[in-house]
Amino acid sequence: MLMLPVAFLLMVAGSFESDVLPVFRAKCFACHSAKLRSGGLSLESRDDILRGGKSGGVIVPGKPVDSLLLTLVATGKMPMGAAKLSVSETAAIRTWIEREDRKAPVSERDVTAILSAKCWVCHGRRETMAGLDLRTRESMLRGGKSGRPVIASGKPEDSLLIRRIVAQEMPPPKLQEQYSVRGLTDDELAKVRQWILDGVRPDNEKPLEVSAADDTAIKPKDREFWSFRTPVRPAVTPPRFPARNAIDVLTLEKKPLAPEANDLTLMRRAYFDLTGLPPSPEEVEAFRADRDPARYERLIDRLLESPRYGERWARHWLDAVGYTDSEGGNSGDQLRPHAWRYRDYVIRSFNANKPYDRFLTEQLAGDELFDYRAARNLTPDQIELMAATGFWRTAPDATYSTEQNFIPERMDVIAGQLEVLGSAVIGLSVGCARCHDHKYDPIPTRDYYRLVSILTPSYDPYHWLPPTFPCGGVGAKCDENNTRYFLPKATPQWQETVAFNGPALRRVEELQKQIEQKAAPYREKYLAEKNVKEVKLAELEATYEPFKKEKSSIDEQIRKEKAALKPLPLVRALFDLGPQPPPTRILMRGDATTPGALVSPGAPSILNAPGRDYRLEPLSHSSGRRLALAKWLTHPEHPLTARVAVNRIWLHHFGSGLVSTPGNFGRMGAAPANQKLLDWLATEFAGSGWDVKAMHRLVMTSATYRQQSGGDGFTLRRIDAESVRDSILKVAARLDTKAFGPADPIKPQPDGEVTTESLRRSVYVTHRRTQPISLLETFDQPFMNPNCVQRGLSVVSSQALHLMNGDLARDNARFMAGRIIDAVGDDPGTQVERAYLLALARNPTADELRAAMFAMEAAGREWAGDLEKKQPAEPLKSRSRWLGLATVCHTLMNSAEFLYID
Amino acid sequence: MRTRRDFFSRMGDGLTGAALASLFAEDLGAKQALYDLTPKKPHQTPRAKSVIQLFMNGGPSQVDLFDHKPALAKYAGQPPSRDLAAEVRAVRETGGLMPSPYKFSKHGQSGIELSEMLPHLAKVVDNIAIVRSMFTTHLAHEAALFLMHGGRILPTRPSLGSWIVYGLGSENQNLPAYVVLDDPKGPPINFIQNWQTGWLPAVFQGTRVRSEGSPILNLHAKQEYPGGIVDLSRSLLHRMDAGHRDRHPGNAELEARIANYELAARMQLEATDALDISKESEATKNAYGLSDERTASYGKRCLMARRLVERGVRLVQVYIEGQIWDNHNKIRQGLEYACGKTDQPAAALIQDLKDRGLLDSTLVIWGGEFGRLPIAQDPGPNAGRDHGPSGFSIWMSGGGIKGGTTYGSTDEIGYRAAENKVSVHDFHATVLHMLGMNHRDLVFEREGRQERITDEFPARVLSEIIG
Repeated sequence: MLMLPVAFLLMVAGSFESDVLPVFRAKCFACHSAKLRSGGLSLESRDDILRGGKSGGVIVPGKPVDSLLLTLVATGKMPMGAAKLSVSETAAIRTWIEREDRKAPVSERDVTAILSAKCWVCHGRRETMAGLDLRTRESMLRGGKSGRPVIASGKPEDSLLIRRIVAQEMPPPKLQEQYSVRGLTDDELAKVRQWILDGVRPDNEKPLEVSAADDTAIKPKDREFWSFRTPVRPAVTPPRFPARNAIDVLTLEKKPLAPEANDLTLMRRAYFDLTGLPPSPEEVEAFRADRDPARYERLIDRLLESPRYGERWARHWLDAVGYTDSEGGNSGDQLRPHAWRYRDYVIRSFNANKPYDRFLTEQLAGDELFDYRAARNLTPDQIELMAATGFWRTAPDATYSTEQNFIPERMDVIAGQLEVLGSAVIGLSVGCARCHDHKYDPIPTRDYYRLVSILTPSYDPYHWLPPTFPCGGVGAKCDENNTRYFLPKATPQWQETVAFNGPALRRVEELQKQIEQKAAPYREKYLAEKNVKEVKLAELEATYEPFKKEKSSIDEQIRKEKAALKPLPLVRALFDLGPQPPPTRILMRGDATTPGALVSPGAPSILNAPGRDYRLEPLSHSSGRRLALAKWLTHPEHPLTARVAVNRIWLHHFGSGLVSTPGNFGRMGAAPANQKLLDWLATEFAGSGWDVKAMHRLVMTSATYRQQSGGDGFTLRRIDAESVRDSILKVAARLDTKAFGPADPIKPQPDGEVTTESLRRSVYVTHRRTQPISLLETFDQPFMNPNCVQRGLSVVSSQALHLMNGDLARDNARFMAGRIIDAVGDDPGTQVERAYLLALARNPTADELRAAMFAMEAAGREWAGDLEKKQPAEPLKSRSRWLGLATVCHTLMNSAEFLYID
Repeated sequence: MRTRRDFFSRMGDGLTGAALASLFAEDLGAKQALYDLTPKKPHQTPRAKSVIQLFMNGGPSQVDLFDHKPALAKYAGQPPSRDLAAEVRAVRETGGLMPSPYKFSKHGQSGIELSEMLPHLAKVVDNIAIVRSMFTTHLAHEAALFLMHGGRILPTRPSLGSWIVYGLGSENQNLPAYVVLDDPKGPPINFIQNWQTGWLPAVFQGTRVRSEGSPILNLHAKQEYPGGIVDLSRSLLHRMDAGHRDRHPGNAELEARIANYELAARMQLEATDALDISKESEATKNAYGLSDERTASYGKRCLMARRLVERGVRLVQVYIEGQIWDNHNKIRQGLEYACGKTDQPAAALIQDLKDRGLLDSTLVIWGGEFGRLPIAQDPGPNAGRDHGPSGFSIWMSGGGIKGGTTYGSTDEIGYRAAENKVSVHDFHATVLHMLGMNHRDLVFEREGRQERITDEFPARVLSEIIG
């Protein structure tokens, strides 16, 4: 920073017009004229400069030291060329900033930013209390019921708006907490005043136009990057040994193929890949006995038809979209009791082999596919469409807390959903552009807010629907008409539930009246004794022991009645909130208090092209913005949708994607290991009608997939967290295959371990962000921040502790041993054979058999000795043999081979 | 009787500690990086080797403890400014400015002013540096805690502790690198999200260690098997895994897995020993207040924290029950309870570390997620104070911190940080700096993006409080 003596400064002329403007004209206008506005900054007038550039202010009047502009010129960072500013030129700028007393001009958008956060909840899209709408200059001039304008141009003190704010009547203090708004600060009030004083100037602003054919924000060179161009189907020569199909032909162009793995290894691999579970001994035997040369292909077909397939592959998708059963965001971590409908929708979709384009469309815009408001009796299919939009309700969301329900937190929720969309579907990290133009990919901030604008008709930051329902007085305004839950009232299930609950609810009401009646005499006594005007029930309870007793017995009855209520069949969904969506502006540095230019809904320009650009076709019942997004994404020539989808399929078959950064296909993402293969798969996928099961078949019947592990071949990999738990249950013959429905509860233990008594597959057990099941967490179940496109892999000792000492493996080893004895009888050799078949889908070698039998016998003796001391009722001999076998089973559950797919 | 240690030392190809360490340090496969806790070299010479963070959830009231504001007496009862009013959480309960009921006096050679509520800290005040100009950006506990721990108001990022062990690993492979000692009477707000790894690998997550009962989850089985069974099972497992590994030569992940089963067994012994405070002298126990019911629980955890850093654990976070500093009403009783519980143990920790020559290499941090407002909440005899994010105090000690210093100040009434404001990002950068790490260089590559604890926020190391 340039330091000059004060005396010298005083001698320097610092008039803007005569001393500073000429310097700017000579040395800065090449980029920062009013016309060019590089970085959004014009240096042509004091107002322009005060308004600043894209990232905000460049000078702080009176404070040269804090002014970015001075720092940049004094340090020679600006101008960018050789013609730097001289010492006297810099000094002139410094003096002018020091003397500048003008404030940055206040525009309509600045005022709107303030009023939207503090007033619109009652005077906006949702409600117009006292007939007053504060959303636009025009509506303010029109005024409320009284018919008088609430702003008087040039006369702030005569403006009702100002008067009510100054008197601290508005926003009403008694509602501020509940609605998550606060009073205006001095600075905000001053801005509103000044705008009125300056004559309530309108912005007359139109949304930024972005042309698909000619967008100056994107350089033509940027469009040449591989992933921004539509994939071209490569020519493939007919497959010849060792190649079996096109995948192999293209793989062989890069590297040789390892020999094929043996049959049983392949079988176990296919089971885990498609169902997340090991095969049963009977299935192993049947496969071994099958002499059909196409038995492997038939196995794949069979597994694809298994209901377990949908549960397995839904899990991968649920990771990608960040599905959990709780809101997160604070320690309340409210459960999402109805989220499971979306989970079920995903499982059903995979099992039904729903085409991926349809699958995406339903999730992005299920509510826009039909007029749900007009539909009186929703069909099951229509309810399913509403459930599909649960896609948009996965991000951590603490806005049920009044303290975390301000505009920034709401924008964070939207940002979370866009991050999911970006990483799971588009394959670009769009979130970076929330605060600044993307540093590496051609995604300007403008394009991030164009995506936001697609969501605001339903995710309206100023008409915010609280996550919970009923919300018990917490969060923003909450009632039956303002909930995220779709209430399918016309359905029989709804009516049955209401009819069922009716009498109980009436009894609860009656009981609550009883409490009041019992309280009445105590209240009277208290008020008289303490000479106060009111008293809460809790205080009465604390004061009078008899009342406390009476109340607690009634409370107990209420609790019982409530516990017996049937939950309403709510559908957690996202839907359009009706006409007049709020305007969406670029928020400079992502900050809601510094609004920038107005934008219209649109998709990232870099992925647009004439003929397949984001095109909004308004619907009679909805804004159509999300449906347009779905159409844009599922266009067969979209450069990324199909590539991202096939890469995910590849990732879960091979352990790593062809693009090893599955959520980022941009410049900072990894280059594809085999682009021709990726593009062939992508075009095949889109060309096949987005047939997911066909892709599995293609991949799994390739020679590439059938390679043995090691070296450049198939990658040996640990099974994921859910497969660990589910497999242990399955080999113990305890897995409950009941599908769908509300998530099974978790059970936190006194020692802090979180377990569950459920025997269903892990995908059906509650995944609460603050209480993940300890075993699953230890085996890298993701935290969902907000989602997870590729799970981490850790090898830590707590995994060993869990499987060695934890109850799940220990208990189920005994079940496994019990069922083995039931199935094969007392012969130790046959028992060990069966244990190996169950756990590892193969027979033990002679050595292994010997070792296991030796251990089993020795363990049996140890147990016998132990039991003799304790003298239990059970027969000692058979019990100790059973426990000896359980020791072998427990060891198998701990073995690497059990936990790895080969 | 045979111990487990014996068992491993005679196992065929059992790995010794050194071999284990080198195994972990190897490049474990090129396809997907594996992460571990072996010691890593910091960017520059570190001042501190380990950290003990005494986290004061709830928001300790700076104007009643660290930040003397005589002007509050002058303005007592006056309504707050519009700006202050716009920052109040419980709008309907707002009262006027409220002076502290406590006396402040100068202590030590440094003459730092402290409230009479902190008599024990006063005795070691020449070892601490108080920052009086901290500020945060959110008025809710949850969001402010996320910011304090992870650098954002959302639970989506790794905690500072995770970054530290990601950057430095741990000196002791038989104990968790990042230990969380939470209060048996109740966890902090946000609970386990305070020590989660976000998208950093799970191995860097904080491990909850209980101060009562079995300290680590599944360290011991709920019902022990007869001793011989465990040995048999291990022996058979080793045989199975060695065979499996031999069929997959060169697979480092499988080696690491085998090593982990051995590590788990060693941990059973070492963790039990590390947390056994019965081995401490009576004098030490008394210094931490273990014989006084008020201080016993917190004192025990402070003492455990010392035993852990002594054994090379990188980071220990000590929490208090729930949020006892959240004194919305009856602040006098609230502060008496909270200070009564923590003042003596925290001061004893500093003295103890110093006596053992550990203070130079251990950074001790005391502070919460925000402070409290200088106005009354629920005015009257039961008055308290509401959350105050715009200005609050924390202190640090040891590990290169210049003792007996204060830095920054709040405005006349203790509402807003005014001079030398310190952001949470500055705080994070400073903690990393003390450990020899530069916050710009501690980078994790995620989906092509370079992630940092300070993200792209400006952050400055507080060189003024470094000795």
